[in-house]
This record gives sequence, structure tokens and C-alpha cells, in this order.
Amino acid sequence: MRSIILVAIREYRQIASTRGFWVMLLVLPVVIALTQVAGRFIRPNLNSAYVLVDVSGQYGEAIDRRIAINRERFELGNLSAYVQRWGAGSAKPDAVWAKGDRWFTDQQIQQFIAEGGAPAALELIKPKLPKDAPVYKVEPPLFIRAELPYDVSAKDGPDELAKNLGPYLRDVIDTTAGERPLAMAVYIPQTVDAQTPIRVWTNGTPNTGLIDSVRAEVVRVQRLKTLEAQGLSPEIAAQMLDATVPIQVSAPPQGEGRELVAIRSVLPLAAAYLLMVTVMVTGSMMLQSVIEERSNKLLESVLAHIRPAELMYGKLVGLGAIGLTILAVWVGAAIFAALSVQGMVADIVKPSLAAFDQPWMFIAMAFYFFAGYLIISMLYLAIGALSNSLQDAQSYLMPVIFLITLPVVFMMVQVVQAPNAALPVILSWIPLYTPFAMLARMTAGVSIAEVLGTGAMLALFVIAEMYLLGRVFQASLLRTGQPPKLSGFIAMMFGKQTE
Amino acid sequence: MAILLLDHVVKRFGEFTAVDDLSFSVPEGGIFGFLGGNGAGKTTSLRMALDILRPTSGRIEILGRAPGRENSSEIGFLPEERGLYRRMKVLETIVYFGQLKGMDKAAATTEGKRLIDRFGLGEWTKSTVDKLSKGMQQKVQVAAAMVNSPRLLILDEPFSGLDPVNQQVLEDLVMEMARKGTTVVFSTHVMQHAERMTNRLLLLSRGKKVFEGTQEEARARLPGRLSITSQADPSSLPGVVAAQRTGGNDAWSDWDVELKPGSDLGALLQQCTTQGFALRRFESHRPSLHDVFIRLVGSGQEIAQ
Repeated sequence: MRSIILVAIREYRQIASTRGFWVMLLVLPVVIALTQVAGRFIRPNLNSAYVLVDVSGQYGEAIDRRIAINRERFELGNLSAYVQRWGAGSAKPDAVWAKGDRWFTDQQIQQFIAEGGAPAALELIKPKLPKDAPVYKVEPPLFIRAELPYDVSAKDGPDELAKNLGPYLRDVIDTTAGERPLAMAVYIPQTVDAQTPIRVWTNGTPNTGLIDSVRAEVVRVQRLKTLEAQGLSPEIAAQMLDATVPIQVSAPPQGEGRELVAIRSVLPLAAAYLLMVTVMVTGSMMLQSVIEERSNKLLESVLAHIRPAELMYGKLVGLGAIGLTILAVWVGAAIFAALSVQGMVADIVKPSLAAFDQPWMFIAMAFYFFAGYLIISMLYLAIGALSNSLQDAQSYLMPVIFLITLPVVFMMVQVVQAPNAALPVILSWIPLYTPFAMLARMTAGVSIAEVLGTGAMLALFVIAEMYLLGRVFQASLLRTGQPPKLSGFIAMMFGKQTE
Repeated sequence: MAILLLDHVVKRFGEFTAVDDLSFSVPEGGIFGFLGGNGAGKTTSLRMALDILRPTSGRIEILGRAPGRENSSEIGFLPEERGLYRRMKVLETIVYFGQLKGMDKAAATTEGKRLIDRFGLGEWTKSTVDKLSKGMQQKVQVAAAMVNSPRLLILDEPFSGLDPVNQQVLEDLVMEMARKGTTVVFSTHVMQHAERMTNRLLLLSRGKKVFEGTQEEARARLPGRLSITSQADPSSLPGVVAAQRTGGNDAWSDWDVELKPGSDLGALLQQCTTQGFALRRFESHRPSLHDVFIRLVGSGQEIAQ
């Protein structure tokens, strides 16, 4: 045991003395810190501008109004979900935002605007919000109307307009809120028909919502006129066109329903990803460590005093401690980030932790994490012992990494949607993938029987792997010449070729 | 008591027999030379003694026990293929190996510092190994092998890679340890070192023992050689195997005389005198270990002068 600890301490100190280790250790906290700073001080302008030239003079106002209503609809939807999530509807039960609706008519939007919009609603609900509720942020409008620049005229027709607006569409344009990218320019001719259609130019990313707003309002105005020409009064015609069937669209509060499945998976998935990253990082360190000992020809000096198995266990313990250090720092950074981002604990961490409703889940997760570390680390150790150089190791490593990561990545994507779908369940029973699959699915209703079954298989696999690859490690340490072929590798596993 | 004993030891790697029915013993005290060309089985035998390799058959005893890491506190080992942890500091390296051999950290540090000073590496104590020259790195390895003041010091080709000055430093250190009671076993194919340092030696060829004993016993295996100047042909003298005339004039001839192995030169000279065999010159040639090696092991084996 003393030798194992000595080797482990040496491995730990050697890795911890490298710059690469510290870069890797601090990369996540630094990225989190930078994200926080960037998020607070460097908020990008997500909105863009549009230009509307209405030669007919009939549609411009209606289009602007439609865009404004759609923007308020978006805001009202968000606000309604926020109020429902934080149980603040009692602030004004009859308000349009207080019922958890997700779909609103134009009349409801008009009412919302008339009552002061989001700012007024936020004032009302403020006293009803719990302390850990994040501050609701009113998003700026996605589109801001810009006037035609002074050097651009619509008098000479759409083609000339397009030519003059070209530079602006490739750049920015002045708006009341400052410079914004010009996303779209709309030209409505005197008469809209098949010969003289509405012309729209975009900067390459056409917004269908904006185009739909233009089309809907032009069609509405034309229909209105048609109905009026048929003798209907403007009021009746407008009522006919604006008539809508009331539909109440309800959705579970934020953080429930489908969203809850994803939120409950956050911590298990994070554990699976952490396992993947940690074992890959420490595994590559282990690989380098063994190759250094082999290529520097110092193994014989070491093996004269300790057994190969002690060297192997020492490396596993030392590099495991490195992995735990990385894990502790990253998890600490994540906790700090969760605490510093308002609402994250309440929105994500608490629901995800609440999913761990059985104490055995934590024990099982620790077991899967530990077993996963051993499985992958042993592969790296054996590859390192077989290789004479990093180039040799790469040729072994590439297929192994693909074999491990590809199914796991596919599985993790699926776990978010359906944790008990075929792929995650099947991979849970293949020991190489069991740790990742079971960690990711831990809060998805896995049974104790499944945990015990996969755990037993995993334990047997780890024992067999450590025994067989341990023999490969031992037999390879002082081997010279080219790395063995598959037959030689298998022979080493079964002790048929020890040197 | 034998500090190292190999009894009918065989080691095979697949079809290849690296060590073939090897038996020898190293008595405690003194310096034991392990001689042989490349591929003679020296390193394999030493690895088996240290339990790095297991013999295919036969019995090995080291320090009166079976090979195993439990012996490492009394053993120092410098392998032929040497290397160090490049990013470890000099003192750390020596202390680490001392601890691997069961020393406590304080004792390993004290002894490590002493050896560092002895090797003239004092100013490099806190430097990482990769900043040292190759010669300095070898000194660190030697220090790591000796840090535990071992009862048995096994050195596999210890002088390879060292410049003459450092070879002398190492030679002096090994001799000093031997004087203090450490048994030294060292393998080499540099005969001059063996000639200067060893009390007893073992000659290996292709895994087999071809000689074990003292240097004198080894030399006695070779036919004696004489250069004489005489009036008559010495071929008929007792013990003479062959005589070759190499020069002279009508009255006196120079002869290169080959004697039977183990011939007594004093008795031969006396016989010449009593028989009236006229001599002007009687000069014996003591065979070198190099000659012994070439004769016993064969000129096909690689050997360094």
C-alpha cells in the first residue's frame, strides 16, 4: 500500500506541476466568469431594423400596428408564463396575463397595451413574487422601423430604391434606438397586383414573421375595401375580418411538463458529461505518464522496487485524485455560477435535485462514476504500456475513443428527449457504456432491479478488465520492439506471452 | 554465505532461450563481475534476481531469500537502460527512489543530499532533471541506486555513457562501497573495468556459463606464453605446446612459446637451468581478461577494449 501511495503522490505532483493541468483546471471557471461579465456588460443588440416605403399610403400604418401587436403578443406570452411559474397571478386575477394562457387574440393584446403593457403588469405582480424569482426582463422589440436615409429616395421606383438601399442592407442603418442592421426593406407600389407586386429585400436572413405581417395587413386592407365596395359599413367589414374564435391555450407552468423531463435530467447528464470529460482528460495524462516511463527507460529502476500491479494501482489512484481535483473545481465553479445567476437554483438546480428522491441514487451514481473511471483509465493504461511513443498510442486510441464516445454522445442527446428509449436502455446493459447511460438516466425512473443488474454486470466487467488488462500492462512494461498485433495482445491478456 | 545464488536457472522467451541452465553464486563482500557480450543473458539474469522477470525453471536466492520486492530495502540497482522522470527535481528523484526502497523521507533526504554533494551536483539539487546534462543525469541515477546504502548493489553496465572522469568517480564510489562491506555485482563488457575492480567473475556466452572464479583462475585457463631467446629450439621442453621462431641470428634465436594451461613458469626456468638449456631472455606474458574473454567466449562476441 505504501508503494501505491508513493506512486500516486508522485503522479499527482507531476501532473499538478504542469501548466497544462492548471490551464485545464481553470478553463471552466474562467469561461464561466467571462460569460458572467460578458452577459452583464456586453449585451449584443439582437434587434434589427426594417424600412417600409408605402407609395400607396394605404398599408404602412396597418403594417406597423401589426408588427407592434405581434411584438406585444410575444411579450405577453412570456409574461404570462413568468406569472404562472412564480404564482403571481393573484396580483390581478382577471388580467390577461394572470391565467396561464399561451395564445392571445388581438383584442387581448389591445387590452394588455391599454393597461400599460409589461411595465404596468410587473409593477402589479412585484409584491407577489417569491424572493428567489429572477427579475423579468422586458425584451426590446425584434424589429425597429427606420426611416429612409437622406440619400435614398423612393421616387424613381423600386429598382432604384433597391440599388440605393444595397449598402445599408449590407451594413447598418440609423434608427431611433441607434444603429441597427437593416434586415428588410419593403416597397409597396401605388397599386398592388400581379404586375406590380410588393417588393421585399432582405439582408440574407428573411424573417417570415415580418413578411407575414406585411402580407396579412395588405390582404386585410384590400379585403376591407372589397367588403366596403359591396356595401358593408367599415365597422361591419372590420368586425367580419377581425372575427376570431376564442381558443384558450393552456400549458404547464415553466419547469413542468416536457420541460421538467429535461430539467430533471440536468444533473444526471452533467454527471455523465463530467465523467466523460474527466476520464478522457485523466486518461490522456495516464497515457503520457506510462509512455514517458517507457520511452525514458526508467521502468526497470521502478520495477526493481515495486510490483507492476502497485505501479498500476498507484497511477490509477494518483490520476484519479487529479480527476477528483478537476471535478471539485469545476463543480465548485458550476455551483458558483448557479448561485450567481438569479433564478437558476430555483429554476433548474432545485427541480433537478428534487428528482433524486431516493438516497440510493447518490450511492449508485458514485459507483457508476467510479466504475466508469476505472474502465476507461484501464484502457488508457494498457494502451500506454503497449505503445513506444505517442504516435503509437494515437493509432490505438482513435478507434477506442470513437467506440466509447460516439454511442455515448448519441445516447445523451436521446436521454434529454426520452431517457427510457431503446438506445439509452440498451447501452445501460453494455458495461463499457453502463456508467454513462445509467448516470444520464438516473432520475428517469430507473428501477432498483435495473441498477442492481447493470451494477453487477459492471462490477464483473471491471474486475475482468482489471485482471486482463493488468496482465497486458505488466507484460508490456519492459517489452521492446514494435507494439503487438491483436493476437499478441490477446496472448498477453491470457498470460501466454509475458515478455 | 552466498548473497546471490542461481541454481540451474533457465529463462525462455517463446522459442528463444535467454538463460540456459545457469548456476553460480556470489559470496557476500567484494565485487563480482558479470561478463559477457551483447545478448549473453546478463541483463535477463539480473532482472530475474530482482524479480522483474520470473525464471522458466530453476531456483534463485538473493540475500538468502527468494527474489521479491521485500528485498529492495537492502538492494541498490542501476539498470542498463536508464532514465529519469524529466520533470522531477534532482533531490526529489533520489528521495522518491529511496522511499520506494522503504526509507523514510528524512533519511532519504539526508543521504540524497550527501550523494548529490559527492557527485558534485550540489547546485543542481532543486533543478528538474531535464535541465541536466546526460552525464549529470547518470550520476543522479547512480545516487538513486545507492541512496539506501544497500547490502547488495547491482549495476548493469554502469559505465556506459559516462565520460572517463565520471567513470573514475563512479569506480571510486563503487570501490568505496565495497570496502565498507557492500557486495557489488556489476555486469559489463568493458574488460578493463572488470580487470581493475572485480574479485570474482562470471563469464556468460549465449545464456550459458563458461567460467566462474577469480581472475587468476580465469587466466590459468589460457595457455601461458613466453618470449625467449635461446640457442636451441624450446619445443622439447616440458610443458611447451608449440614454439615459433620470430627472429635472431645464427647463434641465438627469438622464440614465441606457447605453454600448456596451468604450466609453472618457475619450474620451467629451473629445468632450463639444470638441463643446460642456454637462455639470454626469459619473458612471460600474463594473459589479460580480454584474452581470456576472447578465448573462452569466442571472438564472435562483441567486446569493448
